[in-house]
Amino acid sequence: MTTKPNNGMVPFLADCLRWSLSGGVGFKLYLAGLLVVMGAGGVAYLRQFQEGLITTGMSNIVSWGLYISNFTFFVGVAAAAVMLILPAYVYKDKDFHEVVIIGECVAVGALVMCLLFITVDMGGPLKIWHLIPGIGLFNWPSSILTWDVLVLNGYLALNALVPLYILHCNYHNRAPVGWKYLPFVFLSIFWAISIHMVTAFLYQGLPARPFWNNPLLGPRFLASAFAAGPAVIMMVLIVIREKTAYPVDAKIFLKLKRIIVVAAVINLVMLFSEVFKEFYTFTHHSLSAQYLFFGLEGHNSLVPWIWTAISLNVLGTLMFAFDPTKGRPGYLMIAAISLFSGIWIEKGFGLIIPGFVPSPMGEVVDYAPTLNEITITLGILATGALVVTMLIKPALRILLRYKGSMAS
Amino acid sequence: MDDKKLKSSPGQKSSRRSFLKGAAALTAAGSAGLLTGGCGGSVSAETMGLQWEEFFKKNYRLMTPEEKQATVDRLERLARIRHDLDIEVSNREPRENVLYGYAFNISRCKGYMDCVEACVRENNLDRRSKTQYIRLFEMDPGQLDPTSGEGRYFHEVPAANKFYMGVQCFHCENAPCIKACPTKATWREPDGIVVVDYDWCIGCRYCLAACPYWGRRFNWGEPEVPLDEINRRQHYLGNRMRMKGVMEKCTFCIQRSREGRLPACAEACPTGSRVFGNLLDPDSEIRFVLKNKKVFRFKEDLGTDPKFWYFMD
Amino acid sequence: MAGQGSVLERIDAVDEPFAKPEIESVRQLTATTVVAMETYQGGEFRVLARKEFIKRFRCSVCHTEKPMAARDGALFTHGDIRINHGRAGDALVCAECHHEKERDFLADSQGLKVDFDHSYQLCGKCHFRQKRDWIGGAHGKRETYWAGERVVQNCTGCHNPHSPAFPRKMPETYSLPLDD
Repeated sequence: MTTKPNNGMVPFLADCLRWSLSGGVGFKLYLAGLLVVMGAGGVAYLRQFQEGLITTGMSNIVSWGLYISNFTFFVGVAAAAVMLILPAYVYKDKDFHEVVIIGECVAVGALVMCLLFITVDMGGPLKIWHLIPGIGLFNWPSSILTWDVLVLNGYLALNALVPLYILHCNYHNRAPVGWKYLPFVFLSIFWAISIHMVTAFLYQGLPARPFWNNPLLGPRFLASAFAAGPAVIMMVLIVIREKTAYPVDAKIFLKLKRIIVVAAVINLVMLFSEVFKEFYTFTHHSLSAQYLFFGLEGHNSLVPWIWTAISLNVLGTLMFAFDPTKGRPGYLMIAAISLFSGIWIEKGFGLIIPGFVPSPMGEVVDYAPTLNEITITLGILATGALVVTMLIKPALRILLRYKGSMAS
Repeated sequence: MDDKKLKSSPGQKSSRRSFLKGAAALTAAGSAGLLTGGCGGSVSAETMGLQWEEFFKKNYRLMTPEEKQATVDRLERLARIRHDLDIEVSNREPRENVLYGYAFNISRCKGYMDCVEACVRENNLDRRSKTQYIRLFEMDPGQLDPTSGEGRYFHEVPAANKFYMGVQCFHCENAPCIKACPTKATWREPDGIVVVDYDWCIGCRYCLAACPYWGRRFNWGEPEVPLDEINRRQHYLGNRMRMKGVMEKCTFCIQRSREGRLPACAEACPTGSRVFGNLLDPDSEIRFVLKNKKVFRFKEDLGTDPKFWYFMD
Repeated sequence: MAGQGSVLERIDAVDEPFAKPEIESVRQLTATTVVAMETYQGGEFRVLARKEFIKRFRCSVCHTEKPMAARDGALFTHGDIRINHGRAGDALVCAECHHEKERDFLADSQGLKVDFDHSYQLCGKCHFRQKRDWIGGAHGKRETYWAGERVVQNCTGCHNPHSPAFPRKMPETYSLPLDD
């Protein structure tokens, strides 16, 4: 059923596309489901494009909402690929080397989502060319947002091209040549840290928002990313192990688990440190935290969310730390989902919204996303899932075939 | 969402209802309306051409004087075609040796809000979302931080035992919004006014997040102003019609101040609480205030260096 | 600290008066103005004239030596004027500001005549701090232009001299968000 490999790029890409779409009825249904959600998101976006961002729940007080919350979170997921790349390439960890490609695919999917979230959040998406140096005006290095544009696109390029090269070689039954891609791998390690630090600096650098203007924000972004990201990768790996022929060694889960526990504990320690600072001596800079954790002036829409998030966070961390099943996939899946959703809420909604409440003029309003906004968000999440699926499927197939041919 | 709130609010009364009835509201289809077609229906070749040129024009700061004149002419022509409206868009440059500054007398202001209303009318602010550049806060004695005040009062003023404090864009010398903008769509002019090139703004709202004074407003939808209420004396960087998806802000009424006039808020204030003038003129009123009154600036600890001072009698 | 005080340094560096170039768009005001009998830091300035806004000026048209019937008093003696000026319970009386003999003028406590167009001279006798601020520009209101010749409102342009405190009234508009 496979075409005979030759050296060209075209058959490689054609095969990739074919393999990414082929599968059983369940898989087809899954793809169809994603496409339906994406279609709904597209229609919703068309409406937003016509009428403006007035179709969202955002206002001049809470001027970033669901989109930027998700953007922030998925930058973390993208950055987390480094937790596989680092041991795989720097410490030559054989187990991680087997699955590093999956981490990279997840990163690409996350980055695609990030860029989409930024785009749908823009008031003038047609004017995006104003950002392109040369024809536009790029306020670099002054604006941290321009740094973010650079690091996100650069990281996307790194995470797309390195696996592409490796898979292309493997597809043609060749081993990749180290010097051609390893420099980029090491670059991507630093780059991963930088995308997340830069995204944190986006918020951290604003004295207007005391809730964000906090030197712990960047490190905490990293810690939560290195917990949530590997949790996502673990979820993907469990699915691969259950649903495909690709061998995923149980040792990988144990190693991932260790990474997650360390990162999650550091994250919780930092969270505790922040909470202490906000509430031990309550200043008017603590009002945002007050709003987040307990509500302010009768507005408390975030309170149930943040306590759910913290509970899920602690639960997930404890489940990973004290695993009585010694790595049974079902158990790990629950732990990963718990930790992932906890950090998702905490670092998305729980970070972005309170930064705006109370406003710099002390006004408190609640934010709730509209149905249109949620539909667009779901559409983007579905797009991300589709991208990850369509990357991982052919990648695993090529790797499997390459391994088979190497063994024989 | 806002409409619901408006209906229960005491202030709407006749003005809003009659506005809705007189449905002839201007929706500014700016350059972003290129693909959506703006008003729809028959769009002439001339309109398409003008919109095309508008869409691909440069950032205002990079334009030559000729290009500035050309875009201003296009905007006037488009208003003529679209709304049968004669507007006058100025591109008056800053004057030498002028740096605008503002002082606000917190012991004089009575909270009448004439300034807010005058600003809305002068600057063609969106009536639909009730955009306002100026906020007045009703304050309790014993406090000087407007964040502790109430900005939503609607009762007879001055209320007993209260004082009032106005905030708007403070035109910081070291403005965090300018630093934040990824496309250099907002900048400080040589005469100190912080402006936005609406056609260059991509609507990311990072400047809004960066402003510690809540001095910026976003056009969440297409802004609407009843046609007969449009102020036709406009400035490219000032009160010309904005479009959806762009940021806007107080410009010290650049269309007035660069002609030597007072901003609308200062002119409308019935209590004389608002002092505006040239900081580089030692004889000006604003300089007299700075020299002879004890003044302070809001959130001075942030190092933004605003050109807006508060003082007391 | 970055930027702190830099605008003040810039301001302090300038002590040359703004060479008031003819800003072509600054026009002569249509309202009648008089040259103030004071000078501010920039020299001479003008005040909006008052007399033409006073109903039934000149006062001496009615206020003659002729006797008058008491029943006409309400009509002719400014029955509509309520004095709310001065300390509570110790309001001013007409003659404390108006000239007793020459009704077309105001008068200070020494009996010196003050022109209605220059009422600030009289107001300033008690409100000397406000007058000082008004001359400099921290009190009162400049008319229309920040540039060009300085023209300011007279005291009576904003304050009703018989009841100078600003009244309580509903504000012109209101602000969102009104969400509770």
